[in-house]
Amino acid sequence: MEMVSAWLSWILPLVGAAATPLFAKLGRRVMGFAAVAFAGGAAVCAARLLPLLAEPGRLPIVSAVPWLTTPIQVNFGVLLDPLSVVVANVVAGISFFILIYCLGYMRDDPEVARFWTLMNLFIGSMLLLVLASNLLFTFVGWKLVGLCSYGLIGYYYRDEKKYWIGGPAPFSFISPSACGLKALLVTGAGDMLMLGGVLILYRYAGTLDLLQLYLTAPDWIARMAAAPGMIGLVSVLLLAGPVGKSAQFPLHEWLPEAMAGPGPVSALIHAATMVKSGVFLVARIVPMFALALWMVEIREAQLFFTLTAWVGAVTAFLAASQGLVALELKKALAYSTVSQIGYMMLALGLSGFSPEMLAAGYTAGVFHLITHAFFKACLFLCAGTVIHAVHSIYLHEMGGLRRSLPYTWAFMAMGGLSLMGVPPFPGFWSKDAVLKVCLESGQYALFAIAAAAAVFTAFYTMRMLGLVFHGAPAEGSPGGSVHAAEGRPSQTLACAVLAFGILALGVLGPRLEHGLTALFSSQLPVLPRPLFAEDPLPSFSPLLVPALAVACLLIGAVPAWLFYVQRSWKPEAILSRSNTLKLIHIFLWERWYIDRFYGWFFVGGIRALASWIAGRFETALDDAAHRRLPDLVGRGARRLIERMRSDALDLTDNLAYVLAATIVFLAAMLWWTR
Amino acid sequence: MTDHLLLQVVFLPAAVALGIFLLGPRSGKAAGWASALVLAYTTGLLALAGKALLGGDPPLRETYFVLSPHIRLAFLADGLSLPVAFIANVLCLVLSLFSLRYVTYRIEAIYEGLPPEGRRKYYPRFYALFLLFPVGFTGVALATNLIVMYFFLELLTLTLYFLMAYFGYIRRVRIAMMCLLWGIFSAVFFLAGSLIVYTHHGDFEIARMGAIAGTPLAFWVIAVFLVGLFAKLAVFPFHVWMPWVHAEHPTCIAGLLAVYANIAAYIIVRALVLPLYADFQPFGAPILVLALVTMVYGSLLTLAQTDIKRIAACSTISQIAYSLLGIGALTAVSLEGGMFFFLSHIMGKTVFFSTAGIVVYVTHVRDVRGLGGLAARMPLTALLFLSGAMMLSGFPPFSSFAAEWILFTGIFERAAGDDLALTVGVIGVAAILLTVAYTFQAARRVFYGPPAPGLPGEAIQDPPLSMSLPLFCLVGLSIALGIYPEVVMDLLRPVISGGLPALR
Repeated sequence: MEMVSAWLSWILPLVGAAATPLFAKLGRRVMGFAAVAFAGGAAVCAARLLPLLAEPGRLPIVSAVPWLTTPIQVNFGVLLDPLSVVVANVVAGISFFILIYCLGYMRDDPEVARFWTLMNLFIGSMLLLVLASNLLFTFVGWKLVGLCSYGLIGYYYRDEKKYWIGGPAPFSFISPSACGLKALLVTGAGDMLMLGGVLILYRYAGTLDLLQLYLTAPDWIARMAAAPGMIGLVSVLLLAGPVGKSAQFPLHEWLPEAMAGPGPVSALIHAATMVKSGVFLVARIVPMFALALWMVEIREAQLFFTLTAWVGAVTAFLAASQGLVALELKKALAYSTVSQIGYMMLALGLSGFSPEMLAAGYTAGVFHLITHAFFKACLFLCAGTVIHAVHSIYLHEMGGLRRSLPYTWAFMAMGGLSLMGVPPFPGFWSKDAVLKVCLESGQYALFAIAAAAAVFTAFYTMRMLGLVFHGAPAEGSPGGSVHAAEGRPSQTLACAVLAFGILALGVLGPRLEHGLTALFSSQLPVLPRPLFAEDPLPSFSPLLVPALAVACLLIGAVPAWLFYVQRSWKPEAILSRSNTLKLIHIFLWERWYIDRFYGWFFVGGIRALASWIAGRFETALDDAAHRRLPDLVGRGARRLIERMRSDALDLTDNLAYVLAATIVFLAAMLWWTR
Repeated sequence: MTDHLLLQVVFLPAAVALGIFLLGPRSGKAAGWASALVLAYTTGLLALAGKALLGGDPPLRETYFVLSPHIRLAFLADGLSLPVAFIANVLCLVLSLFSLRYVTYRIEAIYEGLPPEGRRKYYPRFYALFLLFPVGFTGVALATNLIVMYFFLELLTLTLYFLMAYFGYIRRVRIAMMCLLWGIFSAVFFLAGSLIVYTHHGDFEIARMGAIAGTPLAFWVIAVFLVGLFAKLAVFPFHVWMPWVHAEHPTCIAGLLAVYANIAAYIIVRALVLPLYADFQPFGAPILVLALVTMVYGSLLTLAQTDIKRIAACSTISQIAYSLLGIGALTAVSLEGGMFFFLSHIMGKTVFFSTAGIVVYVTHVRDVRGLGGLAARMPLTALLFLSGAMMLSGFPPFSSFAAEWILFTGIFERAAGDDLALTVGVIGVAAILLTVAYTFQAARRVFYGPPAPGLPGEAIQDPPLSMSLPLFCLVGLSIALGIYPEVVMDLLRPVISGGLPALR
């Protein structure tokens, strides 16, 4: 029975996507409700898997059919284990409420059939990615998720000016279609490298069946270790995919522009689907490399964990710092996503730093994925309502919306407080778990970076809430903040449910964390502590990490409160007094110049190379082949040709010398090889 | 009906072509429908043969004409030749339907100065020539003999020459000549290789080429053949003809031009790798490098193009190299993946290129800088173009995804202990991103954004279904093979893995 639910949970949204054009014939409302119903069906099917978590002894369960038997054996199926069941429920549940929100948000859109098709395809692909029992089909879901994000980010493909993001003038804008293409290419770079890693994995393991990969990991990793540098190469290649999809440094630059699509699309990408896929995949791979490192004692496998942890920490810090100065509401939230995913990666990376940390790091990463899904979905949906209400994407054109959008304010505040890590909201518990893993694994540098990112997070979130809801309504706001109104009932309902989920998770946070730890511990390999392991792990007072987390929160939130909520401090005045602060501001506004560098080096470089090849090299080659060489031959054979050629039409002029040359060539060949 | 099945497949289109030619202008528009009908019939025959083969029947072999003990007109439909002949025939069928409207437009554009009765002869002339393509493709695929294969190759070259000279774009006569010369260049090497084999072994039969295996001569035979076939495959630096030819020919045969070039990959496997596997080994590494260079070079060349026809042209250079990569790796999986990729590529290229043709047909603009915003008025065409882009870029569920997967699995199989293959494999996989870049960038330029100024707004709309529906069917076929690739692999396996004792 569970297996039927598992299959249906990813098939139903795909059927919904395929059926949307048919429902469109019955009217827009029917089409919308049908699309939501298919996503709802997926959520119900996923929920039916939850009882399995109470019986971890029954897991993992696989249901598969052969897809290819020759020349390689590949099975297609679903795998139910704690990770897939938990993540599938997060994906299906959150996506369902996002689609309910869309009923109101997209009601007036003239091309909404394309929207519903892509949304359901997105959800189905993500569920396929999560539930697939074979890494190849995880990759199929992975590619489809990328394709759907391309279609949805560039949804407003006509590139009308009102959908441009970036700016405000004089800063540059970017159109939705360019944003979609950027997302496709940047994540695609990671995808292709990851494909290389998966192929090498297959070469050594002889299977991509996930359970087989876990079971035989000590054998194939030992074979892989026999080739010098191979495990390092595979680590880098495999990690490239998640780094791209989850918008981690250095492939993070697509996500800030991914909010060019409709508001709920951003919610889906940031909370439930796209960016979570990378974290999920790292969680899938972690047990293999942990086995290699601690069971077979292959030190090279440590590289995977070190890279993951450092990529996560650097990204958390980098994106949070950029969020400090963001002027677009959804861009501020986008930076926060990049940063929070960094925390998840950090925790998963640290899970391999010692055998004792495996379950704790793993749980912290997945726990933060769950809490983040709720509060980020809520934040993005509320942001959609706000932008719709004020007809502006810029924070400085908002303000004072607390009174005109009271529900949205309440829901967004809950999401924001959770993002900041205010106790007892769920973000506090999960971030606390991540910070605790940093400290307990003895990685103080990583802890310091994560703590600094937490300070920034508190600051930019309070700043965002203050600029949107507090103070006086901005003058010259396009829609007029004063007359802004709440969204349609379905929008408010969806946000309310997510806000309730945030509250529930906050109350249940510690119990949930404990439950997840027990669940994952029952499935993760039991690892010995090998001889090469360093000193025992440090131990700290249980109150230390929460105290430090609250300290980080206060350091960040209090100044932001004074600047943007109480407005007793003037940020412009402080900025104008310090040249250093101005330089830092520019540096952060320019996104550390990374995007600019990529544009110059990769886009400009490849364009220049392509242009040189097409304009110079190819022209020279063409000239040599089609002019110089025939000239050379022609000059020597002119007399012969003149004798042999007929003065027929130009089509056949030179056939005679071709014939002569052919005969000579054939004779020479035959003589030479006689 | 199934008596002399292969003979019917190869020569029925030729008979219809002759009929159309003899009837001349009197055949009128019926020429197009007659062509489609005969191709539908031969496609059905090939499907029947495929079903029988999958059902466990032995490969179909028909021998008709023995010129000498060593030159015989014989056809063989085994697991390797049958998929090639079938897909090539399907493409001919699709494009014959696509051309029903397109050729009328093309004739009006080229011969607008002629009176209507003067123009009328060109329509049947197109189809009389067009039908020689399926004759050539199925002939090459099913031939068992080097000389017969050479005959059909030359037939293809001549057909292309006349079609381009009559129905191509502005510099069509000059480029047709160029194409002919390159075709002859290629054929001369092919013929030279065949004659060398014959003079030493006394036989043209491909199945018996193994007799020269292990001799020093085998190396030179392979080398001579490869030079000719590389020119046909447009491998760097023999690719210089491809952008010209693709840019100037009528778009309705673009997909067939991709088959014309890519079928050389089939010939390499059929005539060189299978009979002379051990002797082919020294060529593996150079082919890998050459294929990689061609892939990257072709992609970069494509990125710089602004002519929508040249975009597709240059992408062919890059795409064909994938099949070659599979050949260079010389593992059973890579060879089978390479052949599957060949079939997937020609389907993708047909959709991509023909959709580009639709854009030119509707807008009369070739420069993508003068296009834009077409998706709003041509949604089905945009969907087709994106499907073509996805087929070329190897997105699931299209067959190219499965093909690429199998192909690279084979390459990485070789990569264990072979640093070159590993490097080529990793760069090759990463280079797929360039395909994504140029196909989706082209889609953005042509279909997204605001409508380009100067385009006649009212006239811009999706073409008639007779043009788009066959292409959608092809997209459907690619999806079907992507979801169920086993059907192709089951056919290829016995011939490639089963045919090579070293790989069993």
